Amino acid sequence: MGLRTIVVSIAGSPGSLITAKYAIALAKLLSVKLVILYVVNIKVLQDLLKSRIFVDVEARVYERDLEQQGSAILERIGRMAQDKGVAFESCLLKGAVSDEVLNKTQELQADMLIMGELKEMTSRAEVFYDEGERILRRCPCPVVMVKNPAMVEALYKEIG
Amino acid sequence: MKFTDFLTKECCVMDMAAPTKEAAIRELADVLKAQGKVIDEEDFIKHVMEREKLGSTGIGNSVAIPHCPTKSVKGVVMAFGRSKQGIDFQSFDGHEINHIFLMGTNPEDLNIYLKLLASLAKLLNDRIFRAEFAAASTTDELIAVFKKHEK
Repeated sequence: MGLRTIVVSIAGSPGSLITAKYAIALAKLLSVKLVILYVVNIKVLQDLLKSRIFVDVEARVYERDLEQQGSAILERIGRMAQDKGVAFESCLLKGAVSDEVLNKTQELQADMLIMGELKEMTSRAEVFYDEGERILRRCPCPVVMVKNPAMVEALYKEIG
Repeated sequence: MKFTDFLTKECCVMDMAAPTKEAAIRELADVLKAQGKVIDEEDFIKHVMEREKLGSTGIGNSVAIPHCPTKSVKGVVMAFGRSKQGIDFQSFDGHEINHIFLMGTNPEDLNIYLKLLASLAKLLNDRIFRAEFAAASTTDELIAVFKKHEK
């Protein structure tokens, strides 16, 4: 039984493009379908509403802006996958990042999840609450964490 | 991402002179401008005041977090000011404000900004942090309190 689906989780950070490039290269080399996920972090908006830092109308504007940013990122990465001849599907999800990524990975019965490097942790509490850590610990399939941008760039160029 | 990567002692005012909400926002915007973090100060202040019209950012415990996304700032910016006399921010609990965090972000850095705001909310929810933060009398002490609690 070969691999069929790779999922890549894109966070919208500056390192996301490198994560995406590695996922595209791997999907191309393994001839598998790539599912590109972007999660609009609604939980953070809800937390800010609860703490009275945001008002309803403001949270809705942020949600719309985050959705637009997510769509733009997915569109850009989709074009990159297309240019490399990789079959792909883009998914814009909303909710808590780790929950959404894990649910989608499970739903798709993905063979592999690709994600960016974990951020530097300064405390145990931070490790406990970090969305990336949660994904890493609870993911039902193998997880690849992308490092070494220079190597990724070289690989991405190589695949033609 | 650490809170103190964004809040530096150069952007803290331990004894603000401003008597009103708008003057306080302007005083802190001046600090950010002096640090080279603001492109168009008047536009930044205008956006912050427009946000205040939607509802006060006075969140209780004598803290206010006026904020907005705008292309008039470079990346995510933050300044802190303490007003010993207190400022009427039309806070939801009716109390005057003594601690103000002015925040702004370029729309491109929205995700970082939201996480930073959420981290600040979490810190301010912690009674021990609030006590130590209120007791800090110098910018060095203030930054040290943040560093201690972000660990």
